[in-house]
Amino acid sequence: MLEIKDLHVKVEDKDILKGINLTVHPGELHAIMGRNGSGKSTLANVIAGQESYEITSGDILYNGTSIISESPEERALAGIFMSFQYPVIIPGVNNTYFLKAALNAIRKHQGKTELDAVEFLKLIRKKLAVVEMDEKYLHRAVNDGFSGGEKKKNEILQMLTLEPALAILDETDSGLDIDALKIVAAGVNNYRRDDRAIVIITHYQRILKYLEADYVHVLINGKIAKSGGENLAEQLEEKGYSWLDN
Amino acid sequence: MHFLEKELNQLIQFWDEEPDALHTLRSSAFKQYKEVGLPNRKWEGWQFTDFSALEKTSYRLASPGDIPPVPETLPTIANCNRILIINGHFQENLSVLPDKVTVQTLQQAYATNPEIFNKAVVNNSNPFHNLNTALMNSGLAIIVGNNAVIDDPIHILYYTTGLTEPIMNHPLFLIVAGADSETTIIEHYAGATNVQYWQNVVTNIKLSNNAVLNHTRIQEEDHNGSHIADTVYSLGKDAQLNAFHFASGSSLYRQNIQVNLASSGASSMVNGLCIAKDHQHLDQHIIINHLKENCNSNQLFKYILSDTSAGVFNGRVIVSEGAQKTDAQQTTRNLLLTDKAMAHSNPQLEIYADDVKCSHGSTTGQLDENAIFYMRSRGIDVRTAQLLLISGFAKEVMETITNTNIDTYIDEKLTTWLEHIGVTL
Ligand SMILES: Nc1ncnc2c1ncn2[C@@H]1O[C@H](COP(=O)(O)OP(=O)(O)OP(=O)(O)O)[C@@H](O)[C@H]1O
Ligand SMILES: [Mg+2]
Repeated sequence: MLEIKDLHVKVEDKDILKGINLTVHPGELHAIMGRNGSGKSTLANVIAGQESYEITSGDILYNGTSIISESPEERALAGIFMSFQYPVIIPGVNNTYFLKAALNAIRKHQGKTELDAVEFLKLIRKKLAVVEMDEKYLHRAVNDGFSGGEKKKNEILQMLTLEPALAILDETDSGLDIDALKIVAAGVNNYRRDDRAIVIITHYQRILKYLEADYVHVLINGKIAKSGGENLAEQLEEKGYSWLDN
Repeated sequence: MHFLEKELNQLIQFWDEEPDALHTLRSSAFKQYKEVGLPNRKWEGWQFTDFSALEKTSYRLASPGDIPPVPETLPTIANCNRILIINGHFQENLSVLPDKVTVQTLQQAYATNPEIFNKAVVNNSNPFHNLNTALMNSGLAIIVGNNAVIDDPIHILYYTTGLTEPIMNHPLFLIVAGADSETTIIEHYAGATNVQYWQNVVTNIKLSNNAVLNHTRIQEEDHNGSHIADTVYSLGKDAQLNAFHFASGSSLYRQNIQVNLASSGASSMVNGLCIAKDHQHLDQHIIINHLKENCNSNQLFKYILSDTSAGVFNGRVIVSEGAQKTDAQQTTRNLLLTDKAMAHSNPQLEIYADDVKCSHGSTTGQLDENAIFYMRSRGIDVRTAQLLLISGFAKEVMETITNTNIDTYIDEKLTTWLEHIGVTL
């Protein structure tokens, strides 16, 4: 589904990613860990199509075709979703309106009929229940006045509503209280399917207790320094990252 | 500026039913005007706007011959009383007015309400105001009775169309909201013409004690129009003003707004949305005079500027010595959609009392790239994302329009405007 080949990425003349290789198949859940500043969000953003990063070499294939020259919306329509590490506030743009516009853009692209307000409300109520969010959040502007944890739940709500094929979750588990963490994990498990893949970027082993990760990767200095199973996360928890430095 | 003097002389010569005293008033106002001429960039408070274009065309005063057949489709706002003025001429038979509201021509107002009339035309440091007094040729007095509660807004539509040569109008509106009255008045300027025209409006609005007035001013002149306006509000004890100024029209726009909080307990909210494109120049200059204690004032002005347009906001809040317990807030925000659009904001506070709460702020920015990326990453195309963000920017101020029909009207204007707007940032 996702194939990253020897990816090199620069930001403002600084090399951030220095040869990433990663293959994700449908049904898999990959976790990416690594120190602050190691390039995890850069990788997520490059996959989502953030244009301020410069790909100097390498390629990203999605379902076999290169997407590096595609716009962020083209990628989203094709089924790629990124949960933002720092979800953006969009003043004055109503959350319902935003989510309905996004969903209908995707449905239209898929050749499905667009949902009207009533149909959308029915759908969104089900999704709200999964992440235990109150309907009042729908009436606010996108992420406006949301607490850190509420913003993260809102990202999961969007994922559940838009039903992408590939979800990149950038620290969606950071800043959550214990209950919220369980809710987010439940949301991810609810979303999980054999034909969908998840890449979760995290600093903590605790989310992986709720999610069964097929692979854990460690990003060090712009490269994947080590890959393994869930026990790699446990090892990191114990020993820190320094044992992988060389 | 030959044409102005010529027009004044003709007006005095041919309008012989006008009282001599008014003729004298006109002549002396013109003298005042002539001493200083049109403002130039060296004048304080006028530095960002060039008025020289007004002198390049010989406008003549609108005459009775300038009434075209009334257009079949005129801008309409649902559920309103209506006062229709076409090319400066009051269309009484096409106007619909509620009881408890008296509408007078300026001559009638002068004859029956000289006090109101004279207060509005006093000599002024604004030369456009003096020019209006000298040349006033249109306008009405609208007097809302004491205790009157008028449910449906009074929509004054001043429409310019079907011109064959450049004309000018110098309308004077005298609006009095009686004691304890409640009214909504829409002062609406629009036009459709291929010929240049110039509006030089003075609106004098008095809120008597305890009156509540919602005043919406919509300026959507044709781009062949220049619109100059001087709007003065005077508030009596415990009076409440809710004003909204929407401006999208004319190539050259300058509005002076003055709010005089002249008695204790008065409160004013004066908000605005200015949207400009092409080469439009929209300039608003606002003075809030806190003259007495326990008054509050709120201002929120937003500008959305595209293409090579320019927006000017000059806001002054003056708190006089005796105006203790004043609460004054002023905010202006500019959104630039291209790198050639320009915003000049200059909020000022002058405080001569000690027990007051005042704040002001001004920001100028562009569309938030992160917000655009966020929306795109959800499948929304760039253009839609930009338009959502722009209308989101306008929303905060749009929400202060309390009448839903007025809100709908302006919102539709904004939506249509956005559909044709260029965003290059
Ligand atoms: N727009 C940018 N301009 C300059 N430097 C940037 C920019 N974006 C990222 N960087 C730099 O790239 C490096 C990698 O950042 P990135 O956000 O990918 O790290 P991360 O692994 O996600 O860290 P964290 O765990 O703290 O979220 C950092 O040193 C960061 O400062
Ligand atoms: Mg990060």
